[in-house]
Amino acid sequence: MGNIVTLLFNGISEGCLIFLMASSLSVVLGLMGVVNFAHGTLFLWGGYVYAWIYNWTGNWPLSILAAVTVGFGLGILFEKIFISRVYGNMSAQIMVTLGLQIVFTELCRVFWGAQQITVARPSFLSGVSNFAGITIVHYRLFLIVVGVVVTVGGQLVLTKTRVGMIIRAGVQNSEMVDSLGINIKRYFTIVFAIAAALAGLGGALYSPLNGTLNSNMGAANQLLAFIVVVIGGMGSFIGSALGSLFLGIMVAVIGWVLPDISLVAPVLMMALVLIFKPKGLFGLAVRK
Amino acid sequence: MRIKKQTQIKKNGLIIRLAIIVIALAALVILPNFLSATRMTMISRIMVFSVYAMAYDILRGYTGFIHLGFALFIGGGAYFVGILFVRVATSWPMLLLAILGTVVYSIFWALLVGKVAASGGSVLATAMITMAFGEIMRNMMERWRTVTNGADGLNYKTPFPFSNRTFMYYLCFAFMVVMLVVLFRFINSPTGRVLQGIRENEQRAVFLGYNTNRARTIALLVAGIAAGLSGIVYGLLNRFVNTDLLNMQMTYNAMLYSLIGGTGTLYGSIVGSTVVIFFQDLLLNLRSLHPIFERWLLFFGALYIAVIMYMPQGIVGFYNSWKEKRMHKKMAQGAVVSQEKQ
Repeated sequence: MGNIVTLLFNGISEGCLIFLMASSLSVVLGLMGVVNFAHGTLFLWGGYVYAWIYNWTGNWPLSILAAVTVGFGLGILFEKIFISRVYGNMSAQIMVTLGLQIVFTELCRVFWGAQQITVARPSFLSGVSNFAGITIVHYRLFLIVVGVVVTVGGQLVLTKTRVGMIIRAGVQNSEMVDSLGINIKRYFTIVFAIAAALAGLGGALYSPLNGTLNSNMGAANQLLAFIVVVIGGMGSFIGSALGSLFLGIMVAVIGWVLPDISLVAPVLMMALVLIFKPKGLFGLAVRK
Repeated sequence: MRIKKQTQIKKNGLIIRLAIIVIALAALVILPNFLSATRMTMISRIMVFSVYAMAYDILRGYTGFIHLGFALFIGGGAYFVGILFVRVATSWPMLLLAILGTVVYSIFWALLVGKVAASGGSVLATAMITMAFGEIMRNMMERWRTVTNGADGLNYKTPFPFSNRTFMYYLCFAFMVVMLVVLFRFINSPTGRVLQGIRENEQRAVFLGYNTNRARTIALLVAGIAAGLSGIVYGLLNRFVNTDLLNMQMTYNAMLYSLIGGTGTLYGSIVGSTVVIFFQDLLLNLRSLHPIFERWLLFFGALYIAVIMYMPQGIVGFYNSWKEKRMHKKMAQGAVVSQEKQ
């Protein structure tokens, strides 16, 4: 019993982490129709910047802030210089973002080396509690809190504010929003940058959980985020929250029951969803 | 007068083109006499990768399909050779079995992707699903340690004629020429025409009554088998196979070769793979100057982005449009001269 609860707890916390990446990927996809294959690279940069600043200063809030800021800055750079030039051309977008992925992953290796580096958890989050046979890692609990805050906050911004209204309208029909006199291009940049910052945050929170960081982690986590986007329905914020939870728990359970297929199972899941339920497991995909 | 001039220019162009092809073929035939073994192997590798890139071009350049798991074909072919040679026997029958296995394997993946593309539809969905398939394949080969040795890969010997470098050079050369001819014939067949129609405007091709899903599946089959066979030849050439051949990087290579050369031209892939592999070799030689050149992927990625953004038609496309412009200019001049004469 204790095992199962611990397993669920771990799965949910992993899901919260994936959610940071998947939700932003999904909203960018819904709003701009851009599949950002460089999202994992932003995640990676977040992780490296965090580890670098943290190992250097030991100041946790500063490290997190630095990672988010770098993600935001890179997001603006990517959107303004590269992606904005290929809007509407899906295959060129895929290829440009793939190119960015190659270049910026390689830059990571140039700056921080190709070997993996160790990252410690901040002292106030590094504890473990035992609670009636249930092991609770404090850092995982913290991840769940962050996940819930981002979900609630994101949903409130999207449904209760004017900016959120414009973004939702843009997801439905960006040309119409543009013709109403709203500069949708500026929203594209802002949303893309926020998405990049969330990916950076994801990377910063991921590296202490994992303990080590190497330059292949961006691609691996990006694949998980893509899987969540497909499962949750492309373009849906809430869909990606549900998808992340589902995937996190699924990976944890399969990792325990059948560790041999723990990496293949999510990919297989994505294939099945694409074939049989192209609108997502919950039918939340945005019609384009 | 004007039309005559035009046909004259076109005729000249055709003769020049034929002459270039003949000279290039002749040069490639006698080249091994003048080259070191390393250079010869490098050119053999370029020729194999040209076929791999041409296969990719059938999908990308002719049907507008983005296959992000394309490495599973070349990697699969090479793994068939490696596994059978290491685990069973280094012999001819095993090679034949490898070819047979690769063809069946390529057909399986091609049909599966075709099925998904037909039901899922969008470019995005197919890009993701193919990426997922590629990852599944790479993962399986990495995990199946008892047979594949995981990421460390398999080292093996090849049976007699294939162990000779010069023989392998001519084999790669023949392979490239034969595949180029076969793929050209495929592209100009009625099915190939439908593929070009899909690329230009799929909806219209559907309205005209063509079964675009069927045509796309055939393209996937042809491209998959061609890439799988290139994997076999690469396995014979390289005598080593590991999961790097199934990596995303390998798929990016196919994209880059065909993109830099010029998509939708087939022979552009030959130009592209030659340019990129020589460029890569050059960068690796510059390593002694500055360690940054060891990170050649950096330059590779930058080149890739630059080509997509500023020269999407590639080297061959760029050259062709430049020549066309020049021909129009010449024709305009000719028209002026003939009017003055009158």
